[in-house]
Amino acid sequence: MKSNLKRRAFVFACVAPAVILFTIFMVVPTFNVFRLSLFQRSTFNPEETFIGLQNFEMLMKDAAFIRSMQNMLLLIVMVTIFTMGTALLFAGILTREKLKGQNFFRIVFYIPNILSVVVISGIFSAIYAPDDTGMLNSILGLFGGKNIAWKGEQHVMTSIVIAMVWQAIGYYMVMYMSSMAAVPESLYESAGLDGASRVAQFFQITIPLIWTNIRTTLTFFVISTINMAYLFVTAMTGGGPNRASNVALFYMYEQKNKSGYGYAMAIGVVIFLVSFGLSALVNKVTEREVLEY
Amino acid sequence: MKKIIALALALVMALSLVACGGGGEETKAPEGDKTIKVAAIETAYGSQVWADVAAAFETETGIKVELTTDKNLEDVLSGPMQNGEYPDVVHLALGRPAGLTEQLIKANQLHDLTNMLATTIPGESTTPAEKIIPGFTATSATNPYGDGKTYMAPMFYSPCGLFYNAKLFESKGWAVPTTWDEMWALGDLAAAEGIALFTYPTAGYYDAFMYALMNAIGGPEFFNAITNYEEGAWDSENGQTLLSILDKLATYTHKDTPAQANNQDFTKNQQMPMDGRALFMPNGTWITGEMADYAATLGDTFAWGMTAVPGAGNAPCSFCWIEQAWIPAQAEHIAEAEQFVAFLYSDKAAEIFAAAGAAQPITGIADGMEGEQKMFYSIYDNGATSALGGFAAFAEIPGVDTSNTFFAPIDSLVSGTMTIAEYADLVKTNSALMRENLLG
Amino acid sequence: MKLKSEANSGERLYKIFIYVVLGLLAVLILVPVLWVVMASVKETVEHYGNPWALPTHLHWQNFVDAWNKADMGAYMGHSVLVTGLALVILLVVALPASYCLARFKFVGQKFFNTCFMAGLFINVNYIVVPIYLMLADGDKWLKNFLGNTFLLNNHVVVAIVYAATALPFTIYLLSSYFATLPHDFEEAAYIDGAGYWRTMLEIIFPMAKPSIITVVLFNFLSFWNEYIIVKTLVVDKDLWTLPAGLLNLMQAQQSAAEYGPMYAGLVLVMLPVLILYMCVQKNLTKGMTVGGLKG
Repeated sequence: MKSNLKRRAFVFACVAPAVILFTIFMVVPTFNVFRLSLFQRSTFNPEETFIGLQNFEMLMKDAAFIRSMQNMLLLIVMVTIFTMGTALLFAGILTREKLKGQNFFRIVFYIPNILSVVVISGIFSAIYAPDDTGMLNSILGLFGGKNIAWKGEQHVMTSIVIAMVWQAIGYYMVMYMSSMAAVPESLYESAGLDGASRVAQFFQITIPLIWTNIRTTLTFFVISTINMAYLFVTAMTGGGPNRASNVALFYMYEQKNKSGYGYAMAIGVVIFLVSFGLSALVNKVTEREVLEY
Repeated sequence: MKKIIALALALVMALSLVACGGGGEETKAPEGDKTIKVAAIETAYGSQVWADVAAAFETETGIKVELTTDKNLEDVLSGPMQNGEYPDVVHLALGRPAGLTEQLIKANQLHDLTNMLATTIPGESTTPAEKIIPGFTATSATNPYGDGKTYMAPMFYSPCGLFYNAKLFESKGWAVPTTWDEMWALGDLAAAEGIALFTYPTAGYYDAFMYALMNAIGGPEFFNAITNYEEGAWDSENGQTLLSILDKLATYTHKDTPAQANNQDFTKNQQMPMDGRALFMPNGTWITGEMADYAATLGDTFAWGMTAVPGAGNAPCSFCWIEQAWIPAQAEHIAEAEQFVAFLYSDKAAEIFAAAGAAQPITGIADGMEGEQKMFYSIYDNGATSALGGFAAFAEIPGVDTSNTFFAPIDSLVSGTMTIAEYADLVKTNSALMRENLLG
Repeated sequence: MKLKSEANSGERLYKIFIYVVLGLLAVLILVPVLWVVMASVKETVEHYGNPWALPTHLHWQNFVDAWNKADMGAYMGHSVLVTGLALVILLVVALPASYCLARFKFVGQKFFNTCFMAGLFINVNYIVVPIYLMLADGDKWLKNFLGNTFLLNNHVVVAIVYAATALPFTIYLLSSYFATLPHDFEEAAYIDGAGYWRTMLEIIFPMAKPSIITVVLFNFLSFWNEYIIVKTLVVDKDLWTLPAGLLNLMQAQQSAAEYGPMYAGLVLVMLPVLILYMCVQKNLTKGMTVGGLKG
């Protein structure tokens, strides 16, 4: 009896601080995002007026918001495809082939991931300069290419995709490498004897066997991309030119000051629901029978 | 257990002590020991001027000044202000991207300064009203609600205009245009040599430019019609002229401009007119200080020139960029803050400001200037009209604001992703909304 | 015989191709990073010219200017303080919690596990606004009762918020490790007479060292590089951390552009993480299989 009490006290002491912190700084604020979205609260007047779903009605008519959501979705799709595709491919090559300097490549590819987005935006500002002083344009010039206005309206989203993929690729590559390393070599050997090509081995052995890992990463990549897109846009373009690179979270922060907290939080709610829905969707679509090795 | 009780007791005592101390301070503070909080934007004039003026004020009145200066003052201020901690005096400008002053205007959170203007300046026998150049306290730049009451004291003013490389014009033998027809002709000449006619740092710089352009097209009447969102203003003949100039100018603008028109890369746009890739850019007199490092590298091939926005049916016009000092309605020490604002117009303060190149709208202030500064401030002597003010204040409309309606789309016009007809639709639709929500 | 040599040369071509592609990618990553380092020792005027030009001389003054005039020294101090404190709080709170959640059966265990899992889906950047409002309201209340405010502009509060918002990820990572341990360890310890606390602190935690290192590294990176939370919760600019201060320096308008000190600042932010990464990169990659997701 006494020992049971001790056990309870121990568990309580261990779990309580985490639960309290989690409740105060995550559960309550999340609840408040939803609550405030039903109110009008302007920036310099703490009075809150209940207005029901009016904020959402106005949002649906706000062209700038709709564009920012489109941009966000575009980034989620493009960055996911390019990051995951390239990361898987390179991870496959680096684990399967006996290459010299494997370790070197692994270390180098991971570097962008540890840099602050502030640093990355500084780097890409120099890379993307639209005239001859831009790194990218000066290289294109060597091959007779024309200068491209990378941060201009037509190309700004592509430029952000490139920067984001540049940043994320290493992380996912290194991660896939460590899960691929766990795939037993014997599977490849027998497949090799059956005459399966490298490509076939990759799709029939490697991918199915690390599918659980791919699935988890994809599910959470949605949220991470929403976040990163905001950080990149804040530092690189400020949403411009003329809102061409505006993304939903950036718009939320802008409207917090311009249209008040209620409106901003309504945007937050939409982002939250969309990101949750997308994660659930990805999770559902990628459902496969788990293969064991 | 004993320990816990003792601890709890100690805690309660400590808390009550702090509480009493906090309460006592406010009542006991002696009159002479008041401290006011002053927050000022740090621009090209530097932050030292404010420290000097604050020191002069302290010796004159005995009121202490706690000074904050920052380049992005809004970032520093808006947090505490939303939190109910207001500085007593703020020096800032309208038309900045963060729009802090505009927000306070909308929330009716500025203190009325009309009476302050008629009080005597500390240490002198004159009033600010007697010193300020007439006209400077009569526009929406100081009287946001159009009711004859001044809520913002006019501080540093600088003529805005089109900046260019005077040496380049000299060497090519080109004349600086005074009408838009001459402007287009020059644009074609320059294009033949691979030079663009126009560029701008960010689309935000279109505000001063467009205000001046409105005046250069249809005078103050047209300017007021547009900035008060009057019905049909954009459809009038003048409105059509304005649209057609904006449209044509977009095609004459350096194509790299929008790609660099963001907070990170705008400096590169400012280099364009300096090294001959574009002829003109709209800017203010602070540009000389801002780009001084770069100007030094150019040597003899470069010297700043500034001209008014060319006329199109009216005289050329130069918008007057003006920074304002104001007192938040919720400031703690309003009376002392008023003294401080009044003191800003004292001879002592004006001298300190002028020494740093900051010109206040005080009669006779521009007389003592030299060199570039003199050229800039003499722009109005050479036939250009002046314009002050800007878009009228309106109540919060979610998703709609002036900068994203009138100025930001310029990027799209230049990129060719928006037609002038689409731009006209946008400004007309949003003007109608703003008209419905006008304040005052 | 002939067939085999053909296969071999195809193999060699393939290998060369792979090396070229990998090498290219490595160049794409290394060149920009090294370029920033080079830019940080150029004088401001040199930045107006060809970006590939080598610096005329090593202008170390940039670092001195960044450190003193642009306040990077103070920012660096704040960064160290906030990051360090947040990591300590996080470990003290998350380690015991993950251990219990993974290895003890108790009422509500399933519920809490689900809650923390759900927390993985909460994007920190949009709950920052309500957190700010909550702290601001708290400060107003404190001002009325104590005449003093201390929730905003407080590095300790920022550290707590960092730690709290990193909890779901950290608990997820740590408990998935603790769940893999066989129960024999504890049983043996209990038989030896060790209590719950001693067992946890002296037997279990030391075994979890690789996982703990991974957690520390990941969270170090995210805390060190963070600037949204700090810019929102710390309204006094003088108290900002390195990335926040740097962004401010990069985007200041209407005042003299200072490229030299700016790039020096970028290097100052970058250097600590690069050094740390070089030292511990083995551990970092080892721990990653556990996660599969990112904080």
